[in-house]
Order: sequence, then C-alpha cells, then structure tokens
Amino acid sequence: MSKKRFILNSSRSSKQGTLINVGKDSEEYQALTSSMTMEPGDMAAIGLVEGQMALVRTEFGEAEFKCKAGKEPEGMIFIPYGPPTCKLMGGNTDGTGMPMSKGWEVEVVPL
Amino acid sequence: MTCTLGEVKQRADFIVYWGGNPAECHPRHFTKYTIMQKSKFLPRGRKDRTMVLVDIRETKSAKAADIFMQVKPGKDFELITILRALIKHQHVGDDQIAETGVTREMLDDLVQRMKSCKFGCFFFGMGLSMTRGKHMNSAALLTLAAEMNAFTKFVAMPMRGHGNVTGADVIMRWQTGYPFGITFNRGYPRYNPGEFSTVDVLVRGDCDAAFIIGADPGATMPQPAIDHLKRIPTICLDPHITHTSKLARVHITTAAQGISAPGTAYRMDELPLPLKPALKSPYPTDEDVVRRINKAISEKPFWLPEGSQPQMITAQV
Repeated sequence: MSKKRFILNSSRSSKQGTLINVGKDSEEYQALTSSMTMEPGDMAAIGLVEGQMALVRTEFGEAEFKCKAGKEPEGMIFIPYGPPTCKLMGGNTDGTGMPMSKGWEVEVVPL
Repeated sequence: MTCTLGEVKQRADFIVYWGGNPAECHPRHFTKYTIMQKSKFLPRGRKDRTMVLVDIRETKSAKAADIFMQVKPGKDFELITILRALIKHQHVGDDQIAETGVTREMLDDLVQRMKSCKFGCFFFGMGLSMTRGKHMNSAALLTLAAEMNAFTKFVAMPMRGHGNVTGADVIMRWQTGYPFGITFNRGYPRYNPGEFSTVDVLVRGDCDAAFIIGADPGATMPQPAIDHLKRIPTICLDPHITHTSKLARVHITTAAQGISAPGTAYRMDELPLPLKPALKSPYPTDEDVVRRINKAISEKPFWLPEGSQPQMITAQV
C-alpha cells in the first residue's frame, strides 16, 4: 500500500460545467467527477496505470477515482468538483464559514 | 477598492488573475470584459493590455496569459506579502522568495509592470479563497491592491461563482447589514461566520429543518453537512432533480430564473441585471412558492401561548 502523500486540487472545469446542464445523474457527469488527473511520474511511482481505479483518502473520508495521466505539477492530483470530492471534505471551516476545498494532503492507493 | 467590469473593459491595461481559471470557469470574462475588448482608452485591445496568471498549476488560462507565475501550493499569502514588501523597496531574503516557487527576477518584473500601468486589476478566485489561509489570503491581496494606489490606480475583484451568489450577498447586505452567516434567532440579525454559516450549522447539527432555494448543497458541501440534511426535514425548491432534491423530504419544482421566470441577477461586480423570461413554465416561481408558504404560516396560530415570547428574546429584553 502506498504511503506517498499528494496535494489534492479539486476545481471546476468547463466540461464539468457543461455536464451540470446535461444532468448530474448523467453517466458523463458521474464519470468526469469520478476521474482524477496525475503527473505520469507520480503514477509510476505508486504503481498506477492509465485507467486504473485508485482510492483517495483524507483524514475525513475516502472515495474511488479513475486515474489518467495529465499535465499536473509533481505531487498534485486534480479532480473536478462533484459528489465524490464531498466525501473527502471535512466540515471544519476554521471560523470562516467556508470549508477548505483545495490543497488537502491525501493518500492515493491503487486498487 | 473595486470597480465595475465596465471600467475594467474601458481602462484596465494590467490584469492579474490570481487562483482562478477564467478560461474554463468564466469563459466569457476574457472576451467581454478584460483582455480582448477594444475600448476608448485601450483602442488596440489585447495589444494594449497585459495579463498575468498566478496559479499552482498550468491551466487553460495560462495560454491566454502574457506571464504565468506558478506559485507553490499554500504559498499565496507569502507571495502576496513579498509583493507588498517589494513595492515599498523593503528587503526580502532569497530563501523567502524561493519557498514560493517564483524567482526574484519574475517578481521584480511584476512589480515594475504593476507600478508602470495606468489601471491595474486583481481578479481572485477560489484558488486563493478556498485554500489554506482562506480570507486572510483575500485580505492580503485586497491590501496589496490598496497599497498599489500609492503608485497607480489599482482595484481588486473576486471571481464569483455561477448562478446568482453575488445577488444573495447583496440582498442580505442591504436587508441586514451582513452578507452571509446570519442568524435571526433573537428576532434581529446577528452575524458570525463559523457559527451561523450554513456549513457550520449543519455540521454541528444545530438546525432541525432546512429550506433550500436554487442551490445544490447535496452535491457541493462536505459530507458531514450532507449527512445532516438527510437526517432532518429538508425542503428544496429547484427546477431540476438534483442531489439535494433527492435527499429532501419535499421537492417543489419551480420555474427556471431567467428562462421561464423573471427576476434580477447580480453580476460579479454587483451590477443588477433584470432577467426577462423567454419561455412560459407550468411551474410557479421561487417567489410565488415562498409567498404562499409565508401566507400559510401567517394564518396559523402563534406557536407559543398567548402573551408569552420565545425564551431568548425574553432573556435579551
């Protein structure tokens, strides 16, 4: 089991925004929000291959994502916002009212 | 220390996007308001404007930028603080600059460009406001914009989210004096983010019912907040079936604002824009439903015995 830590950057993308109008129950939306992009070197380092499922775990929860290689900085994974990323978020807002949605340290475990 | 997007379009010759990806999240921002527009004061359009992107990853917006500065994750506050020092010619150590992931040459060049522009504008996104530091990052950037006015005109504006989130803030502000995180449980508005804000109230389990209009917290909030929405009676007003409508005990389908219902939407610069419906809908508007619920509640007898008041109000008096 990998213990390497990554920075999770969950964010919006134009494709995700378009698919919201198609419907959040659509297969395309669910597939997109259940996918993550990583730097190819990082994938190789933890034994992940293109299209393989991986478990992303934070101190608050975990969710499964389909991995693909992309142009990301080393040590960072990118996931479009969606219901799966909600499972990774903690409820603490540090007194701001806004939960932290980016920049968590996460563990990625190939499945 | 802000302005309208019209002023940006007419005058801004130096634009910095910080922690935002407008090419994907605000796809008309470049073309309608910022870098592509020709104007009275910037007649050559793109050639008269400089665009800088500051982000932790090279997004699609980087292709449109003249300068892309890749900051290390979680180092935005440090980078802004360094810029605040550099514009005032204060000493900043190499090691302090190195930890942000940006070189001194890039920073010197940025400072020189910021000072020599005629009208600069910072647009900041969730990469700044929803990462470690949160509102302190935003406050630092607003301070930098304020301090830049010692040299030239500079403003800052948040890249607000989709829908009409700006409208919700504006209305709450002129109704109560506060933008969000408000409680009315003593009969008058009180404001305290972290205590009365939605996520915190839900996560602590403080509320025993939820009424949600035109939002989908079931697909966007942290799981502990979603779990509480499932536990309590949640009522949802939405034109569509959403994650929230599925977990709600009651879902009332309403007409879509701007498509089949009139209203007012606030642009991210807080400019109100009237919405004219193009289609008719068989469903009532959100306003109709809320008014009918209000009327039904007002016809019910008061929930406490006659002459008595809620305990907290009595305690305050």
